[in-house]
Amino acid sequence: MKARFTIIFLLAATLPFCFNAMAQQQATPDEHDQHAQHEQHSGHEQSEPKQEEATQSEHDHSGHDMSTSSETAAEHEHTHKDHSIDAESHQEKPVQDHAHKDHSIDAETHEHPSEHDHDVHLGGAADHGDMHHHHVDDGHIMDHEGTMIMGQNLDKLPSGCKSISEEVEITVRAGRKYAQRFPGTVFAFDQQQWHVKPCSKVTFHFTNEDNIRHQFMMHGLPRYIYQLGMFHLEVTGPKTVSGTIIVPGSDDTLLVHCDIAQHMEKGMKAQLVIGKGGQDIPSIPGLTPYNITDVYEAEDLPKISASENKQDKSKVVREITKSLAKSDTQNYLILLIGALIGLFSIPLLRKIIPGRKTSKNEE
Amino acid sequence: MSNFIRTIIIIVYLVCASGGAYASLKLPETIRVEPTALTSEPPCDLKIPPAWRDAQVIEGVEIDADPGCSPDNPAWIAVAVKGTNNVSMDTLMQTHFSPDAIIKTDDLDGDGDPDRIVIKLEIMELNGKSPDFPGQVPTFDIAPGVQPGAWVFAPKTSGMSTENFESVRATPLIRLPSPVIRVEQGDIVQIVLENTHYFPHSIHLHGVDHPFHYEFNGNDGVPQTSEMELMPGERRIYQFQARETGTMFYHCHVQTHTHLSMGLAGIIVVEENRPNNWLQTLNIGGGHVRHRSVAIKEDFDREYDLHYHSMDKELGDIIKEYNDPRLTARDMNRRYQINNATEDYFTINGLSFPYSLRESLIIVDPDEKIKLRLLNSGSESIAIHTHGHHAMITHYDGVEHNPIAQIMRDVFDLAPAQRLDLKLETINDGRHSYGEGDWLIHDHREKGITTNGMAEGGSMSSIVYTSYLGENGLPDTSHFGVNLDHFFTKEYWERKVPVWQDLDEAATFGAAAGRTINLDTATRNILLYALGGLLAGLLLYSIFVGRSHIKQYAAALISRIRGEKGGKA
Repeated sequence: MKARFTIIFLLAATLPFCFNAMAQQQATPDEHDQHAQHEQHSGHEQSEPKQEEATQSEHDHSGHDMSTSSETAAEHEHTHKDHSIDAESHQEKPVQDHAHKDHSIDAETHEHPSEHDHDVHLGGAADHGDMHHHHVDDGHIMDHEGTMIMGQNLDKLPSGCKSISEEVEITVRAGRKYAQRFPGTVFAFDQQQWHVKPCSKVTFHFTNEDNIRHQFMMHGLPRYIYQLGMFHLEVTGPKTVSGTIIVPGSDDTLLVHCDIAQHMEKGMKAQLVIGKGGQDIPSIPGLTPYNITDVYEAEDLPKISASENKQDKSKVVREITKSLAKSDTQNYLILLIGALIGLFSIPLLRKIIPGRKTSKNEE
Repeated sequence: MSNFIRTIIIIVYLVCASGGAYASLKLPETIRVEPTALTSEPPCDLKIPPAWRDAQVIEGVEIDADPGCSPDNPAWIAVAVKGTNNVSMDTLMQTHFSPDAIIKTDDLDGDGDPDRIVIKLEIMELNGKSPDFPGQVPTFDIAPGVQPGAWVFAPKTSGMSTENFESVRATPLIRLPSPVIRVEQGDIVQIVLENTHYFPHSIHLHGVDHPFHYEFNGNDGVPQTSEMELMPGERRIYQFQARETGTMFYHCHVQTHTHLSMGLAGIIVVEENRPNNWLQTLNIGGGHVRHRSVAIKEDFDREYDLHYHSMDKELGDIIKEYNDPRLTARDMNRRYQINNATEDYFTINGLSFPYSLRESLIIVDPDEKIKLRLLNSGSESIAIHTHGHHAMITHYDGVEHNPIAQIMRDVFDLAPAQRLDLKLETINDGRHSYGEGDWLIHDHREKGITTNGMAEGGSMSSIVYTSYLGENGLPDTSHFGVNLDHFFTKEYWERKVPVWQDLDEAATFGAAAGRTINLDTATRNILLYALGGLLAGLLLYSIFVGRSHIKQYAAALISRIRGEKGGKA
């Protein structure tokens, strides 16, 4: 008897401490410098925002033409007189491109000495005020509609990869309609995770089906190849943009999201699993639990049965048949079944209760 | 058992004592909060290059000097004047504007400026909730550490919503207030709303001459009369060709009582049609217009857009509380009662004092004519008082007041949604101006100069003469002994700095030391939980001991119910 009391007491006493610990975990202050995801990826050093677009020179034109109109493609030549890439490089195969541009792992190797200083660089090309832009700079390709490819990599092998293990094409769809499967979200990708082999060369065809901007932004790629460890496709829908990367040689799980305010939070979040994968990314709809969950409470909302009497008979019948299909009615049916099971199990309980009685009698 | 009770008593005493106090003959010491204990920030945002203040020409666009502390990025102005389609990609890349944000084409009347204007707006959330970490994203401070949940119309941007992946701060184009839009009389204007937000929205062009369409959508933004709410992920075009000029207002008309207060409101100005009138289509953050229209340039030396707004903290807190949009919608649409609400934040051009000094100073020189365009998008009337000046009201709600009947005032009352155009003349004659100085301009409803009830905050700013302007672009107050540093700490707005503590050496009005057993909150919580655990244990124990009694009682109850049923039968 005494022993049992102590155990119960101890359990009861430790419970609140657990809650306390949880509460403290959730209430870590200083939201200024922390982005939950940042901690997911080790090796993120502080970055200088100004350099974001202005450090690396890795412009590759694969066969993926992001512009819809041939007009834009034609403008391309005109737009890039200051860059080493000309319209021909569109046609070049990746391998030739590689040789042509002498990419090295060292991010400092540039063809344009001025590229580090964005302002200087910008001054040079101020003369093409035309209708269509097609920007190729520092691994950053953008057309006149804001369709964007950043951090594309067609040929640089990550360390640990001797060769490309396989070439894959993945079509990613994005839009509000894909959020319908996940209550409490508004935007989503059509899939929440993709599996690829280490060292595989992956081409993403990112199809935005909404009439607004969406992004396919990947984080945690090796920084010696990908600036800030990022690969980024962006397009205003309905439209498709494609980009290619070579994934690292080790197992890992990378965050994929749309960084437009609240799009990730409201469901547009996924992960790329390389090989066996690493730690799961939290709060991916239907896949991983949220770090912080909202508190839900039942609401007393009007139900169909309340207005039944006012309807005429045929309507009543119709309403009943309709309501049977409704989830509310289903819930009530389940409740009834539960009650019946409870009733039937009374004899069973009776057997258990006397058992306890005897244990007390023993004491 | 008695030991157990004794433990409880001790813990209860400790918990209670940590909050209580005891009497003494000598009063407690005075505490002065040391400045070094505060998270102070520089009065001017260090990220803004001083070169942005200079008068300059970018892409052929003349940009006036702005000696203020945080002038607009001149590249923004160049792009806003030329259009994203008429500037080099390099200028564009300095702005984060999407390449299709402002498209200007077709000189239809042959007067040297484009007459087809397409402006793309997105809707962004500031200081919203994340399911991944405690805290807000992307953040926007209206004053140090003050981050109300807000929604804004933002120019269509490109790339991330935050400064970079390591930061949670919003990129500079995504901010309060919604941008000031400028179009020319007779321009064929399309405002393309791309609803990037997770709630339905719309645009109502209040005061702007726009047709009520029979087909498509009504073009008026009102879900109760002519169009459905624009759902997330969808796009809608609002088109107009304004015949009348004036300072007007645009805002979301979906659940207006909350959406407007959340920040979906901005100034839209229709300027006179003049030859070669390249307008600054967007004035990000309001304030100084550094590329004025032809007509304003003729009549005035400077022009300022002043957007007054108010927000309810409790309303903004809803988006900080829930991530699930259904819960946010529940609280906003059904639980929030604006009739019981109070305004807590008062902003001028999206910021409260002291940040208002960074961007919304009215910087003047003697003997100038200054055009002020005022909008009140708050839910109550405001009364703007100009220290040291009387200004002439030239336009009410965009319509010119009869010139003979125009009056001068020093308090300007603006009803909700009302606009006033003022002509401020800095003539030192005792009426127009009392002379040079750093003259306050503020809402004379006293709560208008507070931030969540904490003075001096709110929509306060200054009419400051350049002779009183410091090198950093803030009013130079040091020679008066005035130090604004404590306003630039988040602790001040958390009410942790005794406001008058530095007025004298003795800190007469410092804080009084407390005399409590100072348990920090963590220890106190642990004690509380321990107490809870002990009580729960006691309860379980008593249930365990008295279970035979409970059983008997339950049996009696059941038999009684059965008896009743039997009786009925």
